[in-house]
Amino acid sequence: MIETLATVIENAEPVRGYRLLTLDYRDDISVAPGQFAMLRSHSSPEPLLRRALAIYRVENHKRVAFLYQVLGRGTQVLGALHPGDRVESLGPLGNSWPVPESGRAVVVAGGIGSASVLMLAQALLRAGIDTRVFFGAANRDAAIGCGLADFEALGVPVTLTTDDGSAGEKGFVTLPLERYLKSASNAGLPVYACGPWPMMARTAEISDRAGARCLVSLEAPMGCGFGVCVGCVFAVKADGPSGYGSYKRVCVDGSIFPASVVDWQVNAMAH
Amino acid sequence: MTESPHTEALEVDIAGVRFRNPVIGASGTFGYGLEFAELIDLNRLGGFCTKGLSARPLAGNPPPRIVETHGGMLNAIGLQNVGARSFVEDKLPLIRRYDTRIIANVFGYSDDDYLEAIRMLNDGEGISLYELNISCPNVKEGGIVIGNDERAAARLTEKAKRASTRPLIVKLSPNVADIASIARAIVQAGADALSLINTIVGMAVDINTRKPRLNYGTGGLSGPAIRPIAVRMVYEVAAAVTVPLLGIGGIADTSDALEFLIAGATAVQIGTANYYDPGVTMKVIDGLESYCRERSIDRITSLVGSLVVSGDRAG
Repeated sequence: MIETLATVIENAEPVRGYRLLTLDYRDDISVAPGQFAMLRSHSSPEPLLRRALAIYRVENHKRVAFLYQVLGRGTQVLGALHPGDRVESLGPLGNSWPVPESGRAVVVAGGIGSASVLMLAQALLRAGIDTRVFFGAANRDAAIGCGLADFEALGVPVTLTTDDGSAGEKGFVTLPLERYLKSASNAGLPVYACGPWPMMARTAEISDRAGARCLVSLEAPMGCGFGVCVGCVFAVKADGPSGYGSYKRVCVDGSIFPASVVDWQVNAMAH
Repeated sequence: MTESPHTEALEVDIAGVRFRNPVIGASGTFGYGLEFAELIDLNRLGGFCTKGLSARPLAGNPPPRIVETHGGMLNAIGLQNVGARSFVEDKLPLIRRYDTRIIANVFGYSDDDYLEAIRMLNDGEGISLYELNISCPNVKEGGIVIGNDERAAARLTEKAKRASTRPLIVKLSPNVADIASIARAIVQAGADALSLINTIVGMAVDINTRKPRLNYGTGGLSGPAIRPIAVRMVYEVAAAVTVPLLGIGGIADTSDALEFLIAGATAVQIGTANYYDPGVTMKVIDGLESYCRERSIDRITSLVGSLVVSGDRAG
């Protein structure tokens, strides 16, 4: 965890509403797949709170890229950054995706949740894991904005779905995922998912039914990113630990958790 | 760590406890202190207030718990904490390694709850003061329910003072008609110092779902947006009581902190700014040192309550 001022190298907008922000750090930065950083424009007094963005890709030992969707006040200000601008950065934060030693794995990306799993897919390939990607987006443009080409360039099978059918199979990404999980023996298969809350809830359910081991990266509005505000919590399943353990912080207890501990009835991602 | 010649200039005394400087991390925004060990030099910090501690661990409120607003944020955490016993056994030994003042913030749903938590904390070595939280707006019992009722606040203060082996700060709610009157009653009941203000009750609405944006419904507003209200209340309370005041409310830089001192606070607590600027306490300490040096101020305490009021305040 380093608190520093980083410099904007590029803030590209490959598709309207989606941006790739490349930051240069003065010192070496060591990132594990699935980690994030809290970012805020150094020149803008508003909004106050930093925004948690997933680290999409490591360009070199001092340079990382963040893929994000411009949605609210925070990402709008980040979206207006130009090369040379400075960004207050706290990171890398959070735990990371565990990579198995051998076997197969499934990566499920829903919408901009893709930002959290590209480095995971890269790490799985490096470890020689037989990897398959399920990639869902609202439409063709959103799929491009969410980095579809980067996943296709990995050379692993990528199953694309869009909500409106403008590219790939029409429907939610969980449909082909469910077919796949039903088709083979998947006991213990790691299923890594990041995306909208209902998508992860459904992925958890069908993975569990198939005997697969689902891991999710959660998102929640964060005040600080380092555990003190206790704002970014999700509910732990009632049959899990009680009392103090009823809620866990996404930022420091995760952001990656076994899907089995999450009480999917309580949507922690509502803004 | 090198001591600058002006280090002593920042020393303040609160209820007989010496602080190396008047910069304190505010309760609820500073965790148990340890979370900041990697981010700042805790040995330079005047002190910090723990997250509100209750006799038994509390789970807190369901999410969403925070929402950002212009110039601030609303929170309804609901006092999630490890409990006073666990704090004493598990956290305190780790925090004691740092040379900074520890203020234990105490919360309960009833008078007896508060007293039980205080007795548990009395066993803890290394706590300098207690801060009685009678102003949390995000619980249905205790907290603000007591703090907004002059007689209930005075009654609890008296009991807490008797139960406590340490000086007692009482943290005031701003959600009252006359904060000076409540402050007077609490000081008469035995409070050694007052901290103010806690958050202001607010609400934000999701226009798509038409639901409150916080699961709890309402929340406590904090951040720079509330600072002028807090400065005004410190000024009013300073005129009403003689005990030291700890000013809180949207402090984000040195000049914000100075406003509170000039208005009548002996020390300041920094809260929400820690979230988006984790090094803010260090910057304010540096800034206060520079301010004193540049103006040849030997003792920062000479600024306390030095507000120049000219003309007719009315109207």
